[in-house]
Amino acid sequence: MMRAFKSMPLLGLHLYVVAFFAFMLLPIVVVVLVGFSSTDYIVFPIEGFSLKWFWRVYEYKPFLQSFIVTFEVAIVSTILAIVLGVPAAIGLARSDHPAASVVMTMLLSPLSMPAIILGFALLFYLSMLGFGVSLLSLIIAHTVVAIPYIVRTVAAVYRSLAPSLEEAALILGASRWQTFRHVTLPLITPGISAGALFAMLLSIDNLPLSYFFGSPGTSTLPVVMLSYLENQFDPAIAAVSTLQLAVAVIILVVIERIYGLRGLSAA
Amino acid sequence: MSTASTASAPAATTAGTTNRSRLRALSAQAWLVAPALIFLFIFFVLPLVDNGQRSFVVGDNGWSLANYNKLFFDRYYLGVLGQTIGLSVVVSVICLILGYPLAYYLVRHAGRWRSLVIFLLVAPLLTSIIMRTFGWRVIFARRGMLNNFLIETGLIDTPIHFLNGPISVIVGLVHVLVPFMVLSIASVLQGINPRLEESAQILGAGRTRTFLLVTLPLSLDGIGTGTILVFMLTCGSFVTLLLLGGGSIHTLPLLIYQQFNTTRDLSLASAMSNVMLVIALMCLYIQLRFIRRRGVKG
Amino acid sequence: MIKFPRRDFLKASGAVGAAGLLSAFPNGAFAQNKPDRITVTSYGGVWETAIRDYFVADFKKRTGVDADVQLGNPNQWISQVKASPNKPPLDAVVATAELIIEAGRAGLVDKIDGAKLSNLKDVDKRFVDICEGWGVCFDYGAGGFGFHKGRVKNPPKSFVEFVDRTAKGEWTASMMTPNWNPATIFVIWALNDVYGGKLDDISPALDAIKRMKKNCIFWGSVTDFLTHLSSGEADIGIYPDGRVWAYYDTGAHWIDFINPSEGGAMIPVAIMKPKNAPDIAWEYINSMLAVEPQAKFAEKMNYGVTNNKVVYSDKVKPRITPWEKTRFPPIAEIGPHLSNWIERWNKEIGV
Repeated sequence: MMRAFKSMPLLGLHLYVVAFFAFMLLPIVVVVLVGFSSTDYIVFPIEGFSLKWFWRVYEYKPFLQSFIVTFEVAIVSTILAIVLGVPAAIGLARSDHPAASVVMTMLLSPLSMPAIILGFALLFYLSMLGFGVSLLSLIIAHTVVAIPYIVRTVAAVYRSLAPSLEEAALILGASRWQTFRHVTLPLITPGISAGALFAMLLSIDNLPLSYFFGSPGTSTLPVVMLSYLENQFDPAIAAVSTLQLAVAVIILVVIERIYGLRGLSAA
Repeated sequence: MSTASTASAPAATTAGTTNRSRLRALSAQAWLVAPALIFLFIFFVLPLVDNGQRSFVVGDNGWSLANYNKLFFDRYYLGVLGQTIGLSVVVSVICLILGYPLAYYLVRHAGRWRSLVIFLLVAPLLTSIIMRTFGWRVIFARRGMLNNFLIETGLIDTPIHFLNGPISVIVGLVHVLVPFMVLSIASVLQGINPRLEESAQILGAGRTRTFLLVTLPLSLDGIGTGTILVFMLTCGSFVTLLLLGGGSIHTLPLLIYQQFNTTRDLSLASAMSNVMLVIALMCLYIQLRFIRRRGVKG
Repeated sequence: MIKFPRRDFLKASGAVGAAGLLSAFPNGAFAQNKPDRITVTSYGGVWETAIRDYFVADFKKRTGVDADVQLGNPNQWISQVKASPNKPPLDAVVATAELIIEAGRAGLVDKIDGAKLSNLKDVDKRFVDICEGWGVCFDYGAGGFGFHKGRVKNPPKSFVEFVDRTAKGEWTASMMTPNWNPATIFVIWALNDVYGGKLDDISPALDAIKRMKKNCIFWGSVTDFLTHLSSGEADIGIYPDGRVWAYYDTGAHWIDFINPSEGGAMIPVAIMKPKNAPDIAWEYINSMLAVEPQAKFAEKMNYGVTNNKVVYSDKVKPRITPWEKTRFPPIAEIGPHLSNWIERWNKEIGV
């Protein structure tokens, strides 16, 4: 009886988790269903089932092309942000010098800038430098906003680690690089993966930044989707979203198989 | 500048190391921070300084503070400022309340379901925000799923107007942002040794006391991270407000979007974004100091 | 290995990015350097299909030069031209007259020249004048009433009637807001003009909207109008003719359109050539003014076109509002008042 009473909060927690995910998945289910609609206009509940909108997505070239660009930009900019952000987070996390807060604030500040302003400012600035409207400009822009996510999550995780672990390694004769490689890196991996995941997700869904760097070869999916939606209101847009979700699910499953998704929160 | 910045490590950790190795650690830290700092200086600060000048040029009259005068002394724009911050606070608090139990579950109780939970958490973020808001519109519509459900179960008689109001905006934003809160908290909770909680319980503290006195204080860093993230992201979001708000809430990003799209008054738009940047930097700085102090004391 | 200095690192990352760019887009990104390709622009969806299949196809057939179509919207394109005026990434830009005038006054655009455009003689002069000579319109939409035939049996004939009956609560109106740029013309200017307002004071328009407000649902985005009508949340609203008919053709046969007796406001879509774009771009603009591609465009898009030799088919003729029955907004003069209009809208209508 005592046991049953004790597990009450746990039962409540389980029920809460189920309700939470019902909330998270509800609008997604609506979108996926609309993607299978048989009518030419958007209506819910759908009036019939068909795959024709998926065919339309395949037919409409900009969808497919921008799909590739979107993932390319997300992956490259996230890698760049990791290379730049992880050392910075480690350098700053444990420092209690007053200037460290200032520097940290500076590194996190891209979070607070409305992307539409940043995109506009970067377009003029990068054009001045001669980068113009190109994939490189797009990647630079996305890297700027990806850095804070990496810095923030890695710093939080690194700060919660006991410094004695690294000290022990150093005292036992490991070089700085060895210490980093075999002690620090494994311990901060959850932070890196959480930050990288944030950065990639926001990059994939970023409209206001990508918008300014669109060209026939560098339009990302959100830019193409919005311009499609504004001029043709049909379920193709739901079908693209469904495909985007499917691809992402496949990537997540592959990551899970190779690396383990639990790495996102597990040490 | 950054050579001095990252100077002294906490006294406890440096005690016992020699001066030479301390110096080595010091220069190494500056070197670690420099690349990111320089990258952001070139590709974030300089473009914004370049752009920020626009806000002081009104019409053809040269330099002027007219935009800032308007933003700080006109009641309408002050209201907009208030709504922007108010909305961000509300969304952050709701995300924290909804997200913390989930993060706790994820780390302490999910067990072999952990991958599935993370997966379910992340998956919704992988559909376009435009379509997610469309999903909410369907659910919240006057003759939509939610109203039909409430009427059938007899909870209400006439349809409620959820759409184009604060409720739908907040629900939409929480839906998009709560995963960021959960993952931020979870990645810190993960670093807390469960033995600490166990020892507290062995020493006679109940579940609630253990949570309040051990788990919660130790996870403050994660709470801070998540809250800053959600606060900033709400502050900067306009797609959800545009598509679910129906104009019921006016925030700075929405007005900035309007200036870009309709009036092309880039000078006022730059002024508004400068104000947003300053507010956000202040919040960031205060929160960082707060976390640091807590971290040292705890 | 991790010890490379910052400068090399930047170079390296630049090189990585550039290599990715080159391998991914051998043709598209550097189109402007190659005389055998130009870059033109289009709105997305059905627009893009029409631009590619009719105007680009005609241009390619006549000149042998191909054109890449960049998707997006005019704000983005004009910003991109503004950012690189000496080497514009776009060779012919579709935009609203208002943006073209702004770019023209900033010295970014070549004036339209009859000597370079053989089809210009068949286009009414008003379609060049409305862009202050910086561009030429190739199609236009008229903002009249789109409504649900089943629920609005006796539609209003004029703006005045629409305002009065909406205020009385005969129906719920789906109302556009200035977040969708054309609303400044279709709603604010149109109502203001009908009620005798001047450009520097839009009180008449705002008063009319305040009277209607309690029976209105305001939009978030341009397709909300169609969602509102199909879900039953609204019954009628001000909407461009072409969009109403495009929706009709998807199977929503309950929708109808009427041009108010005062004449709906006309919003043209124009094309311009950025300064420093290659001369071959004039030929593309000429294709956009040609009879045959314009006729096909009208047939597909349900929008009126500007070449007066175009003969509409029996299907679209009754749908298209002749431009003589629309009202031309003074776009060049509206520009300076827009900030004030929007601020008053935000403060007084508040949506």
